[in-house]
Amino acid sequence: MTSPQTRLAMARHRPGARRQLPHLAPADLERARRIHRAQLRAALAAVGLLALLIVGLPVLLAAFPGLDGVRVGGLPVSWLALGVLPYPALVLLARWQLRRAERLERDRELP
Amino acid sequence: MIGAAIVLVVLVTLLIGARGVAAIRSTSDFLVASRRISPALNAAAVSGEYLSAASFLGVAGLVLKDGIGALWYGVGFAAGYVAMLALVAAPMRRTGALTVPDFAEARLGSAALRRLSASVVLVIATLYLVPQFKAAGLILTVVSGTPYWVGVVVAGAAVSITLALGGMRAATYVQAFQFGLKLLLFIVPAVWLVLQVGADTRREALSPVEFTRFERAAPVEFRLDVELTVTEPTPVAIAGRPPEVLTPGRYAAAAGSTWTFAKGAAVPEVAGSLPPGGADWSRPLLDPDGAGHPLLSTLSLLVATVLGGMGLPHILVRFHTSSDGRGARRTAAITVALLSVFYLFPGVYGALGAVLLPELYLAGGTDTVVVALPARVDSGWMGTLFTALLSAGAFAAFLATSLGLLLAMSGAVSHDLLPGATVRRLRLTTLGAAVFVVSVALPAAHLDVGALVTSAFAVAASTFCPLLVLGIWWARLTAPGAIVGMVVGLLASAGVIGASFILPAPPGLAAILLGQPALWSVPLAFVTMVLVSLRGRPPAWASAAMLRLHLDETEHSRR
Repeated sequence: MTSPQTRLAMARHRPGARRQLPHLAPADLERARRIHRAQLRAALAAVGLLALLIVGLPVLLAAFPGLDGVRVGGLPVSWLALGVLPYPALVLLARWQLRRAERLERDRELP
Repeated sequence: MIGAAIVLVVLVTLLIGARGVAAIRSTSDFLVASRRISPALNAAAVSGEYLSAASFLGVAGLVLKDGIGALWYGVGFAAGYVAMLALVAAPMRRTGALTVPDFAEARLGSAALRRLSASVVLVIATLYLVPQFKAAGLILTVVSGTPYWVGVVVAGAAVSITLALGGMRAATYVQAFQFGLKLLLFIVPAVWLVLQVGADTRREALSPVEFTRFERAAPVEFRLDVELTVTEPTPVAIAGRPPEVLTPGRYAAAAGSTWTFAKGAAVPEVAGSLPPGGADWSRPLLDPDGAGHPLLSTLSLLVATVLGGMGLPHILVRFHTSSDGRGARRTAAITVALLSVFYLFPGVYGALGAVLLPELYLAGGTDTVVVALPARVDSGWMGTLFTALLSAGAFAAFLATSLGLLLAMSGAVSHDLLPGATVRRLRLTTLGAAVFVVSVALPAAHLDVGALVTSAFAVAASTFCPLLVLGIWWARLTAPGAIVGMVVGLLASAGVIGASFILPAPPGLAAILLGQPALWSVPLAFVTMVLVSLRGRPPAWASAAMLRLHLDETEHSRR
């Protein structure tokens, strides 16, 4: 008995086999161009915000070492900023990007 | 008892795996069956496969060794899935490609690129697997007291037996179960530890003081040969001999020996390592070995972990079990949330370890802090129970990740590099890969679990990340551009990291740029790919090959 994972590996496309060249119907092509442009803008915005978070936070912590001394509920603020804060921010960012990407896909006619 | 817990984990996962195999056999095709898998279940499976022994043990160990700044590892590991969600998940699923080599051929139609990608899979998987085997060997060593090499060989045997019995990681719900198990086995002991240690220890953990004197008579079991510098007369009992007083000077502690320092004795210095609890240790930036550029090394780590997460061979296969591109995207989004819960906790173990077990940093055994803490807090049956739970969780983490990576490795060898794959050969190459990784892990005892995993991420970020991102979003990418860019990225990441193992470490800034090259190797690979592509012309169908990845499968007329 082979495991599904093994069968999955076996079911992969045979290397070197002839495959059809990808093509799109003219109507699909135009729509795909619009969606691609819109999705690219959305993705770049999300990646930009992600970069802002994970570059901005270390820069902030490096620039203000005084945050190590400030405490909230016994914990140094700088530890919270590193160990807790990024996670809800990441979850919210993921949710925001997911919603936008799905909306762009649903809109058949984009401006 | 602890051994029994580990055996139990293996048996339960095997059992669930066998049920999964039976259920899947009743349908005509695994791929058809997988279409019913919901994004939430699949996200649990992705997280189950992703949370390796390096996450389970390594991050907390790095906190103890390098300071609070090591928590950036967890942030980077979770943030990678936001990048995956935005850039890769849905279009990658729509190519129908299971692996990066498949993607390379589907998008760019180049067999040479396929073979190159398969070779990169081998590099990434090896760099990722060696620390997993090291961690598993370490757990077995701590639990049973056997030498390190026995632990690694036993871990290799456990993986091989599991594979021979049918590959327990098979079904999505095995991985989802593994995630639940790991989360439970990580969080419950953490909460118990925090409650058990008492208010004083909790306060000390939040306001650490530098580890300069032993607060109790502490046995230090050296896992490696360590050179110590004693700064004042220090009473210590070495390897069972009666206590003696060491005069200031340099001493060599042999691997395997135990030195019991007297209460109140000064802590000897270890070259290139910061004692836990000091001011530098508490800084929220990562400065391994005190190289002196904490911001730069933190950013380099984040670039590697965030961008490298897109190219991990054992994770990409998992996304294929989503029903369509939209399902894959939702899977990535939920994975961010699940991982976020997990990575809140390594810091708990690290901060408690710095107070209760600071001597581990002398012994070179910081990777064992998670499993060593319960016994330190409670010497009774509760401590043993939680040690058993944590060991079982770490072993589950080791199994889940290792089996996925070994299958990815053998898939690359028997499918992409050699012609004509058979099930038999896939099995044999998997066992061969296990033997290879065990033989590499044996001399790797002195390497950090977490740090080595980061080099796997750096290689993935410098090779597969530009290939996937440009392949999905830029129609003008050409096969020669992708090949040259990947070779440059591979040399700049794997080549430089490999050289830094052999050559003596350069001072300061150069040490970071060579030890954690992602900060410059990733942009270099991107720029190379773009420039070489612009010099050539993509084939006429390239634009359609890219654009169709952005169309929702349910809406446009599929062929």
